[in-house]
Amino acid sequence: MRNWILSGRAGLLLLAVVLALAPLGFGNPYHYDIAIHVLINAIVAVGLNLLVGYAGQVSLGHAGFFGLGAYVTGILSAHYGWHTLLSIPMALVVVAVLAFAVARPILRLSGHYLAMATLGLGILITIVLRTEGWLTGGPDGMIVPPIEILGWQLFGEAYWYALMAALLVLAVWLALNLIDSPVGRALRAVHGSDVAAQVAGVNTTRYKVLIFVVSAVFAALTGALTAHYSGFITPDLGGFMRSIEFVTMVVLGGMASTFGAIVGALVLTLLPQLLTGFDELEMVVFGAVLMAVIIFMPRGLVPSLRTLIGRFLR
Amino acid sequence: MTHLLETSNLTKTFGGVHAVADLSFGVEAGAIQAIIGPNGAGKTTLINLLTGIYTPSAGDVRIDGRDTRGLPPHRLAGLGLSRTFQNLQICMNMSALENVMVGRHLRMNRSFTAALLRLPALRRGDADCRRRAAELMDFVGLGDLTERDADTLSYGALKRLEIARALASEPKLLLLDEPAAGLNANETAAIETLIRRVAELGITVILVEHDMKLVMAISDRILVLDHGKQLAIGTPAEVRADPAVISAYLGAA
Repeated sequence: MRNWILSGRAGLLLLAVVLALAPLGFGNPYHYDIAIHVLINAIVAVGLNLLVGYAGQVSLGHAGFFGLGAYVTGILSAHYGWHTLLSIPMALVVVAVLAFAVARPILRLSGHYLAMATLGLGILITIVLRTEGWLTGGPDGMIVPPIEILGWQLFGEAYWYALMAALLVLAVWLALNLIDSPVGRALRAVHGSDVAAQVAGVNTTRYKVLIFVVSAVFAALTGALTAHYSGFITPDLGGFMRSIEFVTMVVLGGMASTFGAIVGALVLTLLPQLLTGFDELEMVVFGAVLMAVIIFMPRGLVPSLRTLIGRFLR
Repeated sequence: MTHLLETSNLTKTFGGVHAVADLSFGVEAGAIQAIIGPNGAGKTTLINLLTGIYTPSAGDVRIDGRDTRGLPPHRLAGLGLSRTFQNLQICMNMSALENVMVGRHLRMNRSFTAALLRLPALRRGDADCRRRAAELMDFVGLGDLTERDADTLSYGALKRLEIARALASEPKLLLLDEPAAGLNANETAAIETLIRRVAELGITVILVEHDMKLVMAISDRILVLDHGKQLAIGTPAEVRADPAVISAYLGAA
């Protein structure tokens, strides 16, 4: 029983129930909108956590993949008349190919150098989005058409909430499966001891590249859907601050904890909304909350709380 | 007897310094082969050459007759070579059992799609892997600790855990890098028994060790290195009687 409660399967069920019941508490479209943004961030964080939390490779450029995903589908559907059911997969392919191409040279680096290289990659992507105005609309952004399926337009917060909630459950299911598999153990071994993993026969470079591409595709899919949801995109979607936010979600919620990534996304998306009452003190309180968590729960929210619950159940 | 591992004229130089020079020796299949030598004799360099971390400056290493030049460690694992580390290389972010399960990596279904979808075949393979890993932990004397996180284990237990992980790949050749370092007399005696039992499984053992009592007790053959060169090779009795070894290493008056 104790093992089941602490295992991911129970968490997945709980997540599905919470996501299904949450709309009962939503009073207006604004609540839905906030919830959708929580879900968007959560999916990216779950994917990024596979790379950062489990495989131990830092990426400070993940918003770049998010933004690129948004722009590829946006440009193809708005300027070239592609059907959204084709332009979204194309966005994933473009980001996957880019991530794969840069992964090998980038992942030869480690620690601060890896952080710098991914940071640079993210910045490069936003520079291109900002300057290639003929294609992207430049800093002013561009309008993106809604998703259309058989003549029916996906419109309205409730539908989008359902879609994103289903995607998050799917993402968590895939992530939990992956972590508890030979591939997942190899990834975690890369984090724990690169050389031990190699001796066990793990082609560490191959696995690092693999998970880098996978987490980039998570970000790209979410970015692409965000573009069609909000109908308007700017290069800031892929900006440096967004990349930092994603990493902060993973660290705050708890590295190497899939549910931690979700909690991190929830806290970091909701907190600024809740703190608007503090006016100009908002950022100060926000910073203080983050510092308090990291000081008192250095492993992140979910792993620390899980240890407490585990002790309680024993 | 066939040689499972063979080196010929193996040489590694670092900017003119011959860390290992012109070393030719063979390790018989099924034997316990010790490598000893004073500090700076070139033992670590030799290990790094055997395990693919360094590329030889000259000469070669052959496992089962196959030249290993240029093969990275993860490819050597596929040839049946496994090892433990002098300074532990345990994945502290995983449970003790999962560390051993990682050792079976090459014998697992490594399909990414199967992993993502958690297909039944993969689940069965995982359950089997978990059971074998638990058996191996039992084999090395850690049967009670399977549920523990690796970072809660004692130093002595972690040394054994590394051996269990190395055995999980079902290697032909196991290289133990100072398995008794940092252990007390009782623990060393237990490691001695464990190494014997590993050899009884038919696994060839290369033992790099400072503890002379342990080396003399369990080795079939001993290679003595000094200044990167082979000083002597033979049975414990032969090595012990070798005048060159006595003067250079065991300490003559």
